[in-house]
Amino acid sequence: MGTRISMVSVSKLYSGFRSVNSISLSANTVKECLFSTGIVPSEIGLLINTGIYRYRNTGEPSIASLIQHISMPASRIKPSGKKENAFIGGTFSFDLGNGGCGWLSGIEIIDGFIRTGRIKHGIVVTADSEPFPGFSENYRFYSAAASVLLSGTETEGGFSHFRTYTFPEFSEDFTGLTRFGKKKGRWGRRNILEIRESETYVEDCIKCAAASVDRFLGETGYSMGDIDLIIPSQSPKGLLPGLKDKLSASCKLVEVRNGMNRELHTAGPAFALKNSWNDNSFIASENILFLTVGSGISVSIALFQNPSC
Amino acid sequence: MNGKCHIESIGVKIPGKRLTTSELISRIKIPGMEKFGLLTGIRERRVCSDTEDSFSLACDAARDCLAHSKYGAEDLDLVICCSITHYKNGLSHLYEPSFSLLIKDVIGAGKAMTFDISNACAGMLTGVYVAENFFRLGKISTCMIVSGEYISNLYDHALKNIRTPLSSEISSLTVGDCGAAVILEKAPEDSEGLIISGFSTFSHLSGLCKGGQNKRTPGGYMKTKSIKIHKASVANCLPIVSEALKANNLTFDMIDYLIPHQTSRSSIISGAIRLYESEDKKPGNLVVNLRDNGNTASTTHFLAIYQYMNEKRFHVGDRIMLLCFASGLIIGVVIFMMDEIIYHYGNKD
Repeated sequence: MGTRISMVSVSKLYSGFRSVNSISLSANTVKECLFSTGIVPSEIGLLINTGIYRYRNTGEPSIASLIQHISMPASRIKPSGKKENAFIGGTFSFDLGNGGCGWLSGIEIIDGFIRTGRIKHGIVVTADSEPFPGFSENYRFYSAAASVLLSGTETEGGFSHFRTYTFPEFSEDFTGLTRFGKKKGRWGRRNILEIRESETYVEDCIKCAAASVDRFLGETGYSMGDIDLIIPSQSPKGLLPGLKDKLSASCKLVEVRNGMNRELHTAGPAFALKNSWNDNSFIASENILFLTVGSGISVSIALFQNPSC
Repeated sequence: MNGKCHIESIGVKIPGKRLTTSELISRIKIPGMEKFGLLTGIRERRVCSDTEDSFSLACDAARDCLAHSKYGAEDLDLVICCSITHYKNGLSHLYEPSFSLLIKDVIGAGKAMTFDISNACAGMLTGVYVAENFFRLGKISTCMIVSGEYISNLYDHALKNIRTPLSSEISSLTVGDCGAAVILEKAPEDSEGLIISGFSTFSHLSGLCKGGQNKRTPGGYMKTKSIKIHKASVANCLPIVSEALKANNLTFDMIDYLIPHQTSRSSIISGAIRLYESEDKKPGNLVVNLRDNGNTASTTHFLAIYQYMNEKRFHVGDRIMLLCFASGLIIGVVIFMMDEIIYHYGNKD
């Protein structure tokens, strides 16, 4: 049994000082996934949220449970309408954090639960938004959300060969943290979200990603010529042009163009997937490489073999 | 290979600094708080010093776990950090890179895959749930699940805001700091391994306990509808426990130690009584280890097991049930048989 992508849904992109709630953005994409596929909430075994920057820096409950509450109200009620005991075997949700690679780590976990037969469907949802708009330094990401609904398939193909490579020597290259202090132009002291990025971060990401792809291909026995499409992370800025040069890939590397000076963070690869889904390049490709890069530096890679090809 | 896993070692880091309940309560000038210590069963809790935080607790617990293990850090295939709080360098909350990646680097677990899981007080048991599936798939042979909880900073916000004993922040006074780590390994062929059952999120109850970072002061806050969350937890756990027992051909009296999430003595005991009535049977022992620790969030279960092992209370063959409750509302059950692990903690049995 493998895992196929049943649906991917993305939100609009928001930028600037508008207060956008990452939880409701996420919940809308989950609803769209369910509505488009006709899968009822009670069939979703796992819901994993992999967003990092969240509404008001919420610590508990998990953001995933709040998303579940908004988007999947029916999962708590049996078709009979009885609420009692309705949860046994119902949806379980939690948050997963792995920087820009969290989305693919979430997919790996759901793929595992599908393979062991514990669930039939699972959702990985991810969103980032400025926790307190205007109270951040160097925060440059869109408020954006994306969900991917995964289902078991009896046919050949689906996700395989999940690999994660880490480069802890670059762990200081990119950090997202809150510190208590003053922000220029603002009165009083607050908890301020601060993004710190070294000058060499983009270059290091490109190097690590290219080295990881080489290692991945070596370990799995594939060559770059076997890959038809690459669904990559969309940040940091400059990653994709650098990767194109380094990988010298003849295949298409999906880039999400948005014309604004902001970046897509954890939802980046899901937006790339949606683009390729819409222009049919995903369905037309046999071997698709998911390549995520994030702070750490971590690189996660997985192969998706299209059951339809 | 049966794909099952079991607990190979446990490590804990308890901060040295003590804070007694009477000392804490003396800072609140409202009537009706005198019985707080009696009701919660908490005499004191350990709190971080200026040089400790979530990260240092998690790293120290990981080191302690490795010290009790036959494995070295380089043998670990997976490291999952499950803390709610990610404080590093004091009260600076780190969102990325992941804690697990930094812990892996500190302990030297070069080949380990890493990610963080956050699921309130169910964090470590959610980590066990996820890791157990990796064992079933044959993807890993060893795994460390670690957490460091620096939650005593909740007191500052609570002490400023508590006006009555029924305040939504009263539960913030029950917490204590702790780090815990557990190594899982493949179980022997004849072992039943970890039995995991009923992990569910009752998301319509997610509003009963909320916490996060303060806007205008360092540290965090937690607001709990204590009575409602207790009633909801007990009501919803009855069928889950019942099903977990039935599915494994067990009855409640076959459980030697029931270890629920450690919140307060009165709620643990009243919840346990409801469970006994529902199952019409009692487990051998109900574990309440709040007295010197308080509620240490995601680390409570493994702290309790660690302390009981060091106090030489367990025997090989004892059946343990871990019952997790957490805001969300999360309920889940883990059952396992105590094995030779106790010998690593000075037990001779």
